[in-house]
Amino acid sequence: MLATLLRRRTRTFSNSISHWTRYEWIRNAAFSSAGFGLLFGLHYGFYRLLKYLATIELIGLLLTWKLTAMLLLMTLSMVVVSSLLTALTTLFYSYDLKFLLKAPVSLRTVFLDKSLESAFFASWMIGLILVPYIAAIMRVQHLGLTFFAGFIVAVPPFLLLAASFGIGFTLLLLYFFPSSRTRDVVWVFSSLSLTVVYGLVRFAQPEKLIRPDALKVVAEYLSFLQAPTAPYLPSWWLAEALRMSAEGDWRGWALRAFGLWGAACLVYGLLVLLAGKVYFIGYSGAQEGALRRRVHSFRPLAEKYFLGTGSAAALLWKERTTFFRDVKHWSQILLIIGLVFVYLFSIRRLPLDSAELRSLVSFLNVGTAGFVLAALGLRFTFPAISLEGRAWWILRSAPLDVGQVMREKFLFSVVPLLSIAATLALTTNWILEADRFTSWLSFGALVTVGLAICVMGVGFGALFPNFHVENIHQIESSVGGFVYMAACLFYVGFTIAVLAAPMQMHFAERFGTGVWNSRVAAFSGGGWLVLNLAAFIVPWQLGRRALENHE
Amino acid sequence: MIRLEGLGKTFGSYAAVSDLNLEVRPGEIFGFLGPNGAGKTTTVKMMAGLLKPSAGRVLINGLDLAADPIAAKRAMGLVPDEPFVYPKLTGAEYLRFVGELYGVPLDDMRKRVPELLEMFELAPWSGELLESYSHGMRQKLVLAGILLHDPKVLVLDEPMVGLDPKSGRLVKDIFIRLAERGTALFMCTHVLEIAEKLCHRIGIMIGGKMIACGTIDELHAQSNKEGRDLESIFLSLTGGGEYSTLLRYL
Repeated sequence: MLATLLRRRTRTFSNSISHWTRYEWIRNAAFSSAGFGLLFGLHYGFYRLLKYLATIELIGLLLTWKLTAMLLLMTLSMVVVSSLLTALTTLFYSYDLKFLLKAPVSLRTVFLDKSLESAFFASWMIGLILVPYIAAIMRVQHLGLTFFAGFIVAVPPFLLLAASFGIGFTLLLLYFFPSSRTRDVVWVFSSLSLTVVYGLVRFAQPEKLIRPDALKVVAEYLSFLQAPTAPYLPSWWLAEALRMSAEGDWRGWALRAFGLWGAACLVYGLLVLLAGKVYFIGYSGAQEGALRRRVHSFRPLAEKYFLGTGSAAALLWKERTTFFRDVKHWSQILLIIGLVFVYLFSIRRLPLDSAELRSLVSFLNVGTAGFVLAALGLRFTFPAISLEGRAWWILRSAPLDVGQVMREKFLFSVVPLLSIAATLALTTNWILEADRFTSWLSFGALVTVGLAICVMGVGFGALFPNFHVENIHQIESSVGGFVYMAACLFYVGFTIAVLAAPMQMHFAERFGTGVWNSRVAAFSGGGWLVLNLAAFIVPWQLGRRALENHE
Repeated sequence: MIRLEGLGKTFGSYAAVSDLNLEVRPGEIFGFLGPNGAGKTTTVKMMAGLLKPSAGRVLINGLDLAADPIAAKRAMGLVPDEPFVYPKLTGAEYLRFVGELYGVPLDDMRKRVPELLEMFELAPWSGELLESYSHGMRQKLVLAGILLHDPKVLVLDEPMVGLDPKSGRLVKDIFIRLAERGTALFMCTHVLEIAEKLCHRIGIMIGGKMIACGTIDELHAQSNKEGRDLESIFLSLTGGGEYSTLLRYL
């Protein structure tokens, strides 16, 4: 029966490919090429890093394998968190569950089908990113294809183990907290714990451990490099298996690989047994609908004053009310607060000795903070239109212009995005004691970046609407999400490029090696203006037209 | 009133609706029938501004929907085939939200929202999130929402689905009353009994084309069938013998 269920996936996949239009073939080929380009870029970055590590005498290899162990530990934690979120939707809220559970199919088969789906979707992208890293190790250490084959054999149980932990946690959560309100509270506390753990790990300053000067003696540093990284976790077993295969110790590799497969089979088997006891109870609780509860909403005075009671005010009120009542957004907000603190802490810990270097980092902060803002835009602004979902008919059949809906989505997103942009710019400049020119330039640039990312988020969200998705992750990882992220990174990169000229002249003036050239400054300002006009107007207009014609 | 002039919709090479011409006068209830896939919902979506026609135009209350969509939509109320609403709003909040979108004055809303909730027996649940409402309750809420702004034209796609008998009766009475007051009602339905009892005129669509239109008597004359009930006429016009093989199989 499981084979039948799995066959429907391969059939759905092949049917969707066979029905692609020429436009879809070209579009998907373009995005696949861009994806390969991204993997190639990652490979190049890893290769440069590993090549540099290899040149360090005596400890080069130790550093490589330490880095590998840390990377795999990070991969493990990312797959666990990702499977937590994926399992909730696939195991409990998928559209096809009602059909599957009323068919004469055993609950175990349904769980096997859905848990494997969760594990696949939670891990394939993170697993794929390991490939350029492994290829870089192969190039630097001149290893053959057997090393790659050793990786391919050992990585599936590692990913399955990580995903099983996340799925297991979700199963237990839904079993012990069938009531929606308790579940919401637990969900928020889980996110809060994750944020705290993330913060604690960062505030423990792990970078000290890979900087010899932070440790007292060489022997202490060497012993750190040789010590296992979380030896009880599968990430260390995989790291060891890779190291052994690289050293030609295939017996040691086989032992670790066998251990990984054995542990994966055991943990997944236990998960299936656990599911037999708890899955249906959790599923049943999830279907009982939300707890009936009376809720109250209020309209802030400022909103009343500026927007009155017309349709614009109604749209903004609806957006705010539905957003804050969805507990899944609270967990995201907690994680963002944690992210901002960790970001600022990392800036503070940067080893920058001179004032010029600090000012330069303050300018380059436009790029890194821009990336953070783009990630937030992808999570909150870009999906805003698609999240109208099947209730889109209400707005589409109402006496409203599509532009009005887009303006309201923009208004709702712009305040938090600009606040975060201003916080990151002002605090970073204050921490780094950047000079006045750099402070103003980076502040102005980052606020404009925040605005542009918000406008582009609504524009691209309207250009690629999808009102039939099951969860927000499908919107983020869609073709539109990819295009939006690429456009944001392109925009941030160009912002840095066009503003580099005034920064360069500013430094030249400070060092006394050059003078301020107004013509170059005007040219740079003009370029920045054109870039922003394009970012503000083109996606918005294209999105508006696409949404008006959306069927 | 509603006027459809040469309305058509194609999806690639497939014509879902072709050259549809129709007028629904003020005070008239028009029933729109047809087998599954006939093009009824596509027509409704074009009338409500959810789909762009490939040909022709839609006039709502004398206003061209393509040229002046906001004014045309203000005069219209839609009940879709599936009552999807915002799960994180309460019943009372949903009505107030819809009222504000359609520009209903605040004083009118204060009076009418509780009245409508009471009328549809939703008052006890008015402060609860819509995610806890059943299908029928959401259907009643959507109906309450369109009555709030007193539209001149009502476009209804299977409005009776999911309603309990008491609510079904209430909704039928409301439709009759609205028609008496001069509202034009366009209603898609598969329930022939409702169409027969409620509608002044009926149109039957197959393969995107209107094959018959008129009163029951006029349709009877077109169908050349013995029985005078709508089911016989409908089956005669749309074909009903093809399931004999299926019955033999069973």
